Amino acid sequence: MADKSKLGMEFPVRSIEVPKNKIAEFAAAVAQLDAIDDVKEIYRDVDAARKAGYENIPIPPTFPTCFPFWTGGGLMGIVNAVGVDLSKLLHSEEEYEFFAPICAGDIITCTMKVAEMYDRGKKERKGWHIQVTVLITEAFNQKGEMVLRARTTFMER
Amino acid sequence: MTIDFDSIAVGDSMPTYTSQPITRMQLARYAGASGDFNPLHTDETFAKAIGLDSVIAHGMFIAGIAGEAVTAWIENKYLRKISVHFLSMTQPANLDDFENTRDRATVTVTGKVTDKYEENGEKRIRCEISVRDAQGGRKLKGFFVAALP
Repeated sequence: MADKSKLGMEFPVRSIEVPKNKIAEFAAAVAQLDAIDDVKEIYRDVDAARKAGYENIPIPPTFPTCFPFWTGGGLMGIVNAVGVDLSKLLHSEEEYEFFAPICAGDIITCTMKVAEMYDRGKKERKGWHIQVTVLITEAFNQKGEMVLRARTTFMER
Repeated sequence: MTIDFDSIAVGDSMPTYTSQPITRMQLARYAGASGDFNPLHTDETFAKAIGLDSVIAHGMFIAGIAGEAVTAWIENKYLRKISVHFLSMTQPANLDDFENTRDRATVTVTGKVTDKYEENGEKRIRCEISVRDAQGGRKLKGFFVAALP
């Protein structure tokens, strides 16, 4: 069961450099491609990306999902920090709001906090009572610009 | 393939995008690419231990396929928001019973423009998106907002 005393908790601030090769690998995964060479050019070739109007190779839209997994304790770090039972964990919603492009080589600094924790459904009805946790991540680039706000909702079934 | 604000009308459909059948290998690839190593997606013994019939796809893998569908239509530099709500689990195809399990693992992304408006000095569209498997099961609903030239 999620530990409700963790409501409002802020995770340690972490910075990562967005790796070029990881963008191509992610783009291949979501496009269900075996070969990196088959990935769209803007995700693997800096010249193609610049020609398309990006400063460098851009990230695919759902790439920010990676940031919390690559820092701190990864998934288990988050699960343990909020006291969630991994065997009951389900990701229910994800939202990204983009304020500026995120590209290869950017240094992204993420803050993440437990924004909401609440119960849904009736406690006495088995299978109908779930605990919901909402994490808000804000990401800033090396220029100090806020580039992204992410809202992650998960539940314990 | 430049789409501009004036060429899009409320009610227009996004081009339909259909995935390949999702396999366990693809779940492993997505796990490695994203860093999401929840064993629920790659370890059959873990999935069975928590009462599921098999591993299931990462919700964010399905969302990533939806993102691929969106950016096949609208360049990703124009995206301002993408929001997804997961509706059901997706089991991968079984390679030893492919014909009978392919449809549950093949997803189609559709979308419809629901609004055109100005915000922050930009011309924006809002488009609702939906992902279903080839058996009609609803996997994901959501929307994106794009600012168009």
